[in-house]
Amino acid sequence: MDWTESPRVRNLSRMKTHREIFPGIHWIQECGPNRQGIADAVVATGAEWCPAGVALHVPQNAYLLTGERTLLFDTLSPAAGEIVLAGLESVLGDRPLDFVAISHTDVPHAANVSRILRRYPACQLVAPAAGETHPLYHLADATLVGPGDEIDLGGLRVTFPEATFLDAALHTWMTEETTRSLFTVDWLGFPHMEGECLQCVDELPGEIDVSRLEAFHSRVMFWFQYVDVDTVRRATDALARRYAGYSLLPSHGLPIREDPERYYELMNEVVANVAASGRTGVL
Amino acid sequence: MSASLELGRGVEWIHECYSEPTGHLHVSVYLVRAPGGDILVDSGSFYHRDSLHSRIESATDGRGPRALILSHSDYPHSGNIPTFREEWGDFEIVASVASPEIQGLPYARRARIGESLDVLGRRFTFLDPPLADRSHTTWIYDEEGKTLFVADGFGTIHPPGHCDSWWGDLPLEGRTEGVLEFHDQTLRWLIYVDPDRLMTALRDIFARHPAEVVAPIHGPPIARADLEAYLDDLESGVRTIVSTHAAMTTEEE
Repeated sequence: MDWTESPRVRNLSRMKTHREIFPGIHWIQECGPNRQGIADAVVATGAEWCPAGVALHVPQNAYLLTGERTLLFDTLSPAAGEIVLAGLESVLGDRPLDFVAISHTDVPHAANVSRILRRYPACQLVAPAAGETHPLYHLADATLVGPGDEIDLGGLRVTFPEATFLDAALHTWMTEETTRSLFTVDWLGFPHMEGECLQCVDELPGEIDVSRLEAFHSRVMFWFQYVDVDTVRRATDALARRYAGYSLLPSHGLPIREDPERYYELMNEVVANVAASGRTGVL
Repeated sequence: MSASLELGRGVEWIHECYSEPTGHLHVSVYLVRAPGGDILVDSGSFYHRDSLHSRIESATDGRGPRALILSHSDYPHSGNIPTFREEWGDFEIVASVASPEIQGLPYARRARIGESLDVLGRRFTFLDPPLADRSHTTWIYDEEGKTLFVADGFGTIHPPGHCDSWWGDLPLEGRTEGVLEFHDQTLRWLIYVDPDRLMTALRDIFARHPAEVVAPIHGPPIARADLEAYLDDLESGVRTIVSTHAAMTTEEE
């Protein structure tokens, strides 16, 4: 049976799991399970943004860019193959997917590459040039990209800067230059509550604060506990200068379209806090 | 080449190598003999699937493992789990991931970092690793064998022809550089660390969990007698990574 005939995929097509956040940039969100353990830990800290009993999600995001050609950045987790395929079908219709680009080979980012390539056999796989072990990830035949590389999608234009803050070495960030958007992958993630799914930060009633960013980074960027805080601050400040005015589109948080400058300073506070107090858990 | 190399205390090393321009990178698994059956530590990469399958089959007299403990769900570590389970039955998977379905391991039994578990009659303690790439990684301390299984830290790029050597038996020429090169290419976040903080955390682990053998997935095993020399090389490597980054940053500014 063709995947589009699956009742589950048809239902997912009707569910709201994707939306356009800039002209030609479509956000496909996998909210994942309720993270009760993280919610309980956050509530215990007295953080005002997270009321007791609320469901908390740490999402996976994929971004579908539709110029004259089309590119999907990241593919969601193995649990969300149908979400990403339904999102592609809904946005693209009869159009082809020309490129699937992965930020890094982490399972929640790269898990659905094979399924997507089976559905769109002419699609070109794009992977980070950084790293030494591409054949260990079935990436020997991928088109490798890094700083200085650009893909012109016709109306949209993507580049692949070095990932400033990362986990795995085989890694890239991405920008879209016509909308001035920076895709920060694992950096700048944060949990969202039920009712906030598929909303951009500027649509929330309140602001994202340090504790919400810390709830994510103190688990995922565990290595912040060993850093020299001033060294990281210099890197963050350089990033803020380089990408001043760029919207920030993380893989594990809600898109930040307004006032992005504020978040660089918040992240400096997060790093200082994790360096002082250590990690708080595992994701 | 034998199917596995004895490390002592019921632990065997099944290593494969990936060839890089400057040397070889181990992508290993380990076999632990437990009262209830054989336990694999990691599944290796699909790049080495056929060879690994054959060697594990030989080392276990065709039975395959009865359980697998996973350091983390990165493909060179977890990529053979589905195939091995198809081949040898749905043996137990023990993993430290907090959200197994997101990592593609919905059937995994959770190992919580900081806690201990009995797996097939052998006791393992799961440690928070100072050197790792993925956040859910655990180091695995075999309480009986006093073997510490580590990923992704403690690797070494080694010269061809020395693929089954212990770390202490590698040629001295280039050995320190092999430790530096592995960590520089694998753990890119080391450019930001305070070496003193990192080394204190590492030495604290060895004080609390004395290891007769450190068993890295991406390097040769390190005997207790060689551990201080390895730590010295590692510290030197980390300081070089940090100072090189600082110099490059200053130049760019």
